[in-house]
Amino acid sequence: MRKWGLAIALAASVSTTACVQTKQYADLQFTPPQGDYKLLVLRPDVTVGSLTTGGMVEPRADWTDQARASIVAALRAQQASRGGQVTIVEHRNEVAGVTAQELADVERLNAAVDDSIVVHKYLGDYLPTKRGKGLDWTLGQDAVHLGQKSGYDYALFLHAEDEVASGGRIALGVLGLAGCFVGFCAPNVGGQQQLDYASLVDLKTGEVVWFNVVLAGSQVPGIKFGDLRTPQGATQMVERLLGRMKPGQAIRRGREVR
Amino acid sequence: MCMRCVELTRRSLLVGGAAAAASLHAGVAEARILPKEMVPLIGPGFKPVDRDEQGLWKEMERAEEEIAGSNLLIQDPQLTGYLKNIIGTVGGPAAQDFRIYLARIPDFNAMMFPSGFAVVFSGLLLRMRNEAQLAGVIAHESGHFLRRHMIRSWRDQRRKTDLFAIGSMLAGIGGAGAGVYLGDYVQLAELGTLLSLFQYSREMEAEADAMGARLVAEAGYTPIEMSNIWQQLIGEEAASAHYRRKNRHKGGLFDTHPSSDARMADLRADAAEVTVPGRTYNDYRDRYLSTIAEIRPTLLDDQVKLNDPGASQYLIETLAQDGWNGLLRFYEGEVWRLRNRPGDDVRAEQSYSAAVVYPDAPADAWRWHGISLMKRGRIAEAKAAFARYLTMKPDAPDAAWVRQMAG
Amino acid sequence: MKADKTIAFLALPLALAGCGSSLGGSEYGFSPYALVRVQRVSVGDGNMTVVAPRPYNRHRRILFADVSDVEDWTQNGPILDGISFVSGMKNNRELIRQRRSASQQVPRFRSDMTAPEIAAMLESLYRVKGGAVDLKTLSLKPRPFLAANGFQWDYEHLDQDELWRRGRAVGAVIDGKLYMILFDAARSHYYDALLPDFEAIVASAERRG
Repeated sequence: MRKWGLAIALAASVSTTACVQTKQYADLQFTPPQGDYKLLVLRPDVTVGSLTTGGMVEPRADWTDQARASIVAALRAQQASRGGQVTIVEHRNEVAGVTAQELADVERLNAAVDDSIVVHKYLGDYLPTKRGKGLDWTLGQDAVHLGQKSGYDYALFLHAEDEVASGGRIALGVLGLAGCFVGFCAPNVGGQQQLDYASLVDLKTGEVVWFNVVLAGSQVPGIKFGDLRTPQGATQMVERLLGRMKPGQAIRRGREVR
Repeated sequence: MCMRCVELTRRSLLVGGAAAAASLHAGVAEARILPKEMVPLIGPGFKPVDRDEQGLWKEMERAEEEIAGSNLLIQDPQLTGYLKNIIGTVGGPAAQDFRIYLARIPDFNAMMFPSGFAVVFSGLLLRMRNEAQLAGVIAHESGHFLRRHMIRSWRDQRRKTDLFAIGSMLAGIGGAGAGVYLGDYVQLAELGTLLSLFQYSREMEAEADAMGARLVAEAGYTPIEMSNIWQQLIGEEAASAHYRRKNRHKGGLFDTHPSSDARMADLRADAAEVTVPGRTYNDYRDRYLSTIAEIRPTLLDDQVKLNDPGASQYLIETLAQDGWNGLLRFYEGEVWRLRNRPGDDVRAEQSYSAAVVYPDAPADAWRWHGISLMKRGRIAEAKAAFARYLTMKPDAPDAAWVRQMAG
Repeated sequence: MKADKTIAFLALPLALAGCGSSLGGSEYGFSPYALVRVQRVSVGDGNMTVVAPRPYNRHRRILFADVSDVEDWTQNGPILDGISFVSGMKNNRELIRQRRSASQQVPRFRSDMTAPEIAAMLESLYRVKGGAVDLKTLSLKPRPFLAANGFQWDYEHLDQDELWRRGRAVGAVIDGKLYMILFDAARSHYYDALLPDFEAIVASAERRG
């Protein structure tokens, strides 16, 4: 349910054809982590609900659990293939050497920074001073201290939200589309949608080095995209969100020159 | 002060979303529900068995973790322990299962979440005149849980939205717009949408009132105090509206903020019914006042600085029914100063002058007394007031400015 | 509750565009922010000029929705930081447009306001419009501004997104009009990082006319 407003804003922009979109930004100097690195994944926020015919999202404890387990497994597998050691914490008091309070402060600042990135990079409120600079936001010393105290190199903030169409919903799909003709498209008329985003913070510098949003949605109920409850769906999501992590522009240019 | 931006980004879902969920401001039934008919539908240690309710509890577990870790909570152990004791007294069979949190939000509100934890807003503590009133609100919230209102309203809503899908989509969008602020991702945020689903029906509100009346009386609290809460709320709303030259909003058939008048009347009848002749009841006013004494200046400050002069003045006068003091006179002056209409400077000045006569006048009363004297050109008196302020609060953050004034 | 506009609604027109552009295709399209270059620029309604030490983003004014003598700048977006200018606000004006019928009102400016009254006016702005649940004055002291006897108010506030923000306002009432520059940023990192910019801007401020 978190970031509901964001889901509305982003989902409203999905056209009537099925589509999956991702758009990532990276710090100009960013190189995706490789080899021996320690990654801290903070309280992955995963919710899976069933979309009832009326368009309400009914939280499903069993599905959310399945999805969380699948995503965590997919994430471990994917990062391990890059050589990273991953720790996934579910609660604020689970990071050794860091108090729940300190972690909470990093999370709060991160939420404000993530919001700023979404608003100013994805939703059109572009900041002229940041044009052509890739990703240019930081969590500052709070994140550096987190790294020093915990011994991690990177922190990953992950949010995944998925709604699965329930039986009755599909039948009403046509009516849902009709909503678009009266001047707006309801955010959850789609049979299913998925909104995920991830931000990677370099705990040596505090910089947000990489950010990605994946929005998968269909205005036509019944067409399915990766169902987060299944290992395949979760792997697909993790792959979409994190798999094709691109280096920053400066690094890419350097490579081309070479 | 990016005015627009501040508005866009920083309002909270707890406030916005919860208002929809809330408990206190909704519902009235046509026919009164009798307290004696209100039996708890659950026993101690209740755990959900149905799939949908389990899903709800799972979400609420996470929600509670976020709320418990929020820095908007007032953590003072004396206050939180006090609230815990009250819900342990009026919580019926679930008394020992409830958790209760105090959030620093200057609104008249309290809410019960589906898994049995309650959040009380600090604005409630400002408005209650005794422990019986506070217990009445908490008992009402307990009533929602004991009567299983969350899951009932959820199922009801589900049934209805299936019938009126398009209509509810429209409503859903409107609701999301009002309650959910993009860019404002409080950790509590995810509650917004969920909470908006628990708009209790009028019947449920009436049930919670009747259940609450019964719990309060059984615990020995003066039953009529629950009705007095509504009298105070009606008075406050009317006063606030009067200042804006509007009529107080009255509840209609399709109103989601229905009439407090009807609830007050029903609660009055409830009180008569649940009173056992010969038994003594107590409102525990002294215990209440001494418990909140330390936080009261903060509560008043949070309210008055919202600059809702009608409501603030009404509240201060209500509290002053138990006796004027320096604190209340000072905040009366603050209400006028912030309202700042022609003549308000004189009213404020009079309040500050009155405040500093009381031995409990806060240091700030002396400072503002000094400023208003200075503006009148009564320089010598102003300097004396500033000197008094600096004696009372030598480390005042504005000492440098005041010293310059005191010359 | 105050029903605030959401950016979600501002983004709705995008709905007509296809997949391609909806996640923000170009950084060069129309933006509500305009570039402020490193040169002397006038702010608000033109009665004050400043020089920024580096480029800034100025929020374009929305006709009828904004107050003409208030202007907002930011470096990383207003959720994280902002600098606002009040360029000679006259008696009985207000810092923000608000509905007369709203129960909570940000007080109007009065020409005879002292520094504590201006600070209190700003405090109500944060509480009423920003939803601050706590606001503490860290210091209030005299400080010359625009060659007049002014003040400096330092404060911090806890907002409903659970983030502490810190601010500094430097201002003066000259000929009954309020001139002020105000800086407000996340207390963690952003305040310290941008305070030198703010101080440079304050030092550069000049009054016109």
